[in-house]
Amino acid sequence: MAESSRVEALRTALPQRRKTASLWADALYRLSRNKAAILGGVLVILLTLTAIFAKYIAPYPYDVQDRPNANSVPSWMLAVFPMMKSYAVVSDKFLLGADYVGRDMLSRLIYGTQISLSVAYVGPIIALLVGTIYGLVSGYFSRWVDNIMMRFVDLMYAFPSLLLIILMMAFFRSTFAQSEPGTFAYAMNKIDERFGGMLFIFIGIGLTAWMGTARLARGQVLSIREQDFVMAARAVGASHLRIIFRHIMPNILGPLVITVTLAIPGYITTEAFLSFIGLGVNPPTPSWGSMISDGSQAIRTYPPQAILPALALSITMFAFNFLGDGLRDALDPRLRGTQ
Amino acid sequence: MGRYIARRFLWTLVVLFVLSLVTFALEHAVPGGPFDREKKLPSEIIKNLEARYHLDEPYWKQYLRFLNDALIPRIAKGEPKSLLEESLIDIKLWDDYHLRWVNLGPSYSSRSRTVNDIIREQLPVSFQLGVAALTIAVLIGIPMGIIAGLKQNTIWDYLGMSIAIFGVSVPVIALGPILVWIFGVMLKWLPPTGWGAKPPYILFFIPKDLSWNFWRYVIMPAFALGLGQSAIIARLTRASLLQVIREDYIRTARAKGLPERLVVLRHALRNSLIPVVTVLGPMFAAVVTGTFVTEQIFGIPGLGKYFVVSVTNRDYPVIMGTILLYAIFLVLANLVVDITYAWLDPRIRYE
Amino acid sequence: MSKKWSLVAVVAVLAALVVTSCKPQVVEKTVVVTVPGEAKEIVVTATPAPVGRPNILRVNLGPGDVPTLDPALATDTSSVQVIDMLTVGLTRLDEVTLELKPGMAEKWEASEDGLTYTFYIRQGIPWVRWNGKEVEQVLDENGNPRMVTAHDFEYGIKRTCNPDTASDYAYVLGFAVKGCNELFNAENWGELTDEEKQALIDGVAAKALDDYTLQVTFTTPAVYNLNIIGMWVAHAMPKWIIEEKGDRWTEPGFNQSYGPYALKEWVHDSYITIVKNPFWPGIESSPQASIEEIKFTMLDASPAFAEYEAGNLDVAGVPLQDMDRVKADPVLSKELVIAPMACTYYYGFNTSKPPMDNVHLRRAFSLAIDRQGLIDNVLKGGQEPAQWFCRPGMAGCPTPDKYPDLGVKYDPEKAKAELKAYMDEMGYTDVSQIPEIILMFNTSEGHRRIAEAIAQMWKETLGIQVTVTNQEWKVYLKTLQEDSPHIWRLGWCMDYPDANNWTREVFAIGGHEENATQWRNEEFTKLLEQAALEKDPAKRQDMYAQAEQILVWEDAAIAPIYWYTRVTCTKPYVNRTFSQHGHEMFEKWSIQP
Repeated sequence: MAESSRVEALRTALPQRRKTASLWADALYRLSRNKAAILGGVLVILLTLTAIFAKYIAPYPYDVQDRPNANSVPSWMLAVFPMMKSYAVVSDKFLLGADYVGRDMLSRLIYGTQISLSVAYVGPIIALLVGTIYGLVSGYFSRWVDNIMMRFVDLMYAFPSLLLIILMMAFFRSTFAQSEPGTFAYAMNKIDERFGGMLFIFIGIGLTAWMGTARLARGQVLSIREQDFVMAARAVGASHLRIIFRHIMPNILGPLVITVTLAIPGYITTEAFLSFIGLGVNPPTPSWGSMISDGSQAIRTYPPQAILPALALSITMFAFNFLGDGLRDALDPRLRGTQ
Repeated sequence: MGRYIARRFLWTLVVLFVLSLVTFALEHAVPGGPFDREKKLPSEIIKNLEARYHLDEPYWKQYLRFLNDALIPRIAKGEPKSLLEESLIDIKLWDDYHLRWVNLGPSYSSRSRTVNDIIREQLPVSFQLGVAALTIAVLIGIPMGIIAGLKQNTIWDYLGMSIAIFGVSVPVIALGPILVWIFGVMLKWLPPTGWGAKPPYILFFIPKDLSWNFWRYVIMPAFALGLGQSAIIARLTRASLLQVIREDYIRTARAKGLPERLVVLRHALRNSLIPVVTVLGPMFAAVVTGTFVTEQIFGIPGLGKYFVVSVTNRDYPVIMGTILLYAIFLVLANLVVDITYAWLDPRIRYE
Repeated sequence: MSKKWSLVAVVAVLAALVVTSCKPQVVEKTVVVTVPGEAKEIVVTATPAPVGRPNILRVNLGPGDVPTLDPALATDTSSVQVIDMLTVGLTRLDEVTLELKPGMAEKWEASEDGLTYTFYIRQGIPWVRWNGKEVEQVLDENGNPRMVTAHDFEYGIKRTCNPDTASDYAYVLGFAVKGCNELFNAENWGELTDEEKQALIDGVAAKALDDYTLQVTFTTPAVYNLNIIGMWVAHAMPKWIIEEKGDRWTEPGFNQSYGPYALKEWVHDSYITIVKNPFWPGIESSPQASIEEIKFTMLDASPAFAEYEAGNLDVAGVPLQDMDRVKADPVLSKELVIAPMACTYYYGFNTSKPPMDNVHLRRAFSLAIDRQGLIDNVLKGGQEPAQWFCRPGMAGCPTPDKYPDLGVKYDPEKAKAELKAYMDEMGYTDVSQIPEIILMFNTSEGHRRIAEAIAQMWKETLGIQVTVTNQEWKVYLKTLQEDSPHIWRLGWCMDYPDANNWTREVFAIGGHEENATQWRNEEFTKLLEQAALEKDPAKRQDMYAQAEQILVWEDAAIAPIYWYTRVTCTKPYVNRTFSQHGHEMFEKWSIQP
């Protein structure tokens, strides 16, 4: 029987229901509606582009020293920090001033995105990948699997990473420095140089960063494991793999993404700390961490030298966090189909 | 639960043993020794020094010696004749006999101290600072996270989270000197450096004098340290709360007619604290054993710098002592965290 | 009647003596006054002076706990600073003129061959300790105060040389005292019998002939022997407390000393307090102290300067980064003093590693360093550009006034000429043909700045881009000894203020940096060996000048960069001296009330 015209009229009048989409498409849609997240995403993309095209954007090279103009400040900065008037060299040559050997701060900040973003991407990616899977497995398969895996995490937490980093640095910089082209060691050394001597620091950070994510994931899994929908999935006969990745993981991603984005300044601070104690980047490669560490020594005399990279870091953090928040909101299955 | 705890303790010993092996291997693999100096010492002098500290023995013997000193209690007569014989635990028995246990060895850099001294005198300082910092972090972080979570996407949320992000992105390296400059040098309200307590302590870590004279030294460093941590706690609380608030049982509680305050505090908060507590465990262990940068900026005689300085000096006993100490704190903290899981979320079970 | 008067008179005289001999620190005084006509004692209390500044000096030693207060074991400046306040050596240096003065030895006589000296020890100087309330004399088992004797010095010297003590600086004493080397170099010390050990100990040629006469035999009749015998490693040490307390004898409460100050409190990693020793009578080179108490903090440079600006420290070094602000500040710039310090900063070359094995290239690099520019723009501490290695002011070292053209100075034209000479020799036409050169330093902020600046200078003047790299401290030290890079950096600070401690100990064959420089010059070494024995100061200085010329010009084994200075701010109410030798003589300081 043909539908009555009334029903037909209703159907055309009511808004079309969205087609049922996969979790990820749905998430993407919801993400696009979140203004703060868009802003964050745009900033992240801008920063990444800055890092990639630093050579073309930066007004000066990052290593040219203008020694007579060391520590110089542009005139507008004097208005912000009047206390520097009595001793600061004023020069409008550099937009954001110069560092202690006369290198342009702005250029160094731009080039610094390369190292700092690398740190920000590599560390958390390793942490997220390794940590999430590890925590999922550990929390799901309880009892002695969980026990052993968590004891290993305890071990890694207490691991003398500083020792390991020094050892790796010593090894790489002495042995690998004399290796023949074409060998693995030589390739590693070249990559290391490209990163300003930080390759193994990334490795070190990655090695020591996944445990937090693992414990977090595991804690979440323990909580979710007992919920009804998991029992239901099991009753239906879903395999362990399916349960873990299809059912449990989307539910734990929220706090995980947050922690990981929150941890980014931690990585950069670790890199700053390593510079502080003398194990950081090779000069003259700039990184925000080492710039903050350098600048903090002069913070009472030339505040901009520490404040500027800290500001750059804050902006990056805002970007990653809003994006991260948006991601979490978008990936929350409970909001699926709404909004 | 009791069996669970007992099994965890057993595992702890395994972890500590493996850790000590790994640390021992690493510290001897790293080039450079404790007696490499800017003014190169003649080889005979180095020989004498190595003989004193048994560094001329084969590695396995050194490791066994360390285990022997650290693990096996011994009974001896009279006071220890040299630093090498002292222990962390020294109980006087009858007749001038002493029971000595846990000797972590001397420090190679400081000729008048043992690792036992360093831990006994300076761990309490780091502990005091760490507990103060964490208290600030929790007292600021959790309420801020709750408010931001409940009032999602309002001005309170953005404001709270912006403060949190700022707190996390300005490292102590920069924040510390700023605080010192403003409150210590310009306003002179608080002492720029130093610590208000010195050994001996009550019950291992409580200072004898708990008046303002002590607290005035604690405020700035605890705040500098706690601000960053509070940001992490705030954001985690918020994220977790947002998730929990949407659960069915919360909806039920609201449907029952419970006031919002009870809904949040009694039902939502407990479950949303799981990630927070997870993070608090290692945070506690790390902060309580000392933080290098904070202690250096504020001139606090804590344990933090030994974690770094012992490595750069290749001071093997101090390296081992600090790593193992940190491990013990960590394992204990994680154990407490795991037990707290079961209390927070009754669905979590341990067999 | 007359008896009473004489009694009163005696009491009055005694009271007057007591009053006048007291230093004007205590503000309340009771005076016995005799009133003529009445045989009565009236006690008058003087009105207390207004409460001024406490007579306490607060100084910063530097970050990190003082490693030890045991004279036999000390090597670093913090330890030596405190030890030199607690005990005094046989000889003592004037810290400003670096002149050698009598210390605990009032006078000494040398034998014909100049090898054996007889020291006459001062009498009446007691050992003291802090008993919790005040400084008191140490009593022996019969209840008599212990005095410092020649036996204590003999014990101290032998203890330093003893392998059981495992002293780091025994080798410095070994340069001077005969028999010391044999003792700490003893083969298989652990397996010797007690008699054999005792024989070796007795072989150390320091003997107490009686309580106050010490006879020491030196290995060579070197000019610096008296310097070394006055160093902290040869101070008198209290045998009884060392044997009783073992390693713990330096702790407050047990620590015994005899010098201008005594140890009061030591909170590890936080501060050390020393207090004036009223039993120290004061000698010319070390007068009785004026300042009652000195508190040494252990802060890093930046926090220490913050404390200085807050008014909690009386003396502080100015951190490099704050230099500009301090120089421009109206108050601080007046308190700022730049004083010389006995250290040299230099870049060494590995003279066996191509291309650095060519002397023309080494000279080119050394000439191309704009030392003054570096000091003005990067270091900012008023340092002095170094033309040679040994720091002027050390005994025997040449000075720029007497030898203005000695050594090496910044000269870009000459540098380019040397570079051309090198390239012609090697047949290069372009600088890019020169193999890679590595400049290495140990990871630290300060060294990095200098390295970056100097690498830039080389690029600008010579067109050569060196690879700048760094290594962690201990790894770096090992690398220097085993396989040093083309160019490496080091500093040297004095142990005793004599050119021998500098040029010879570091660069002669068998010296500290022989492996790092791979440079062995027989003529140079022989010259220095003779200079050590040369008694005529003018001739001696000439010989060291010749040696320096070989070191930094003819062979150009190193490129000296600058001579250190200390930049300190001192509060205006502190009257102080500026020590040239690395640690201060606080007993000569005073505080205006």
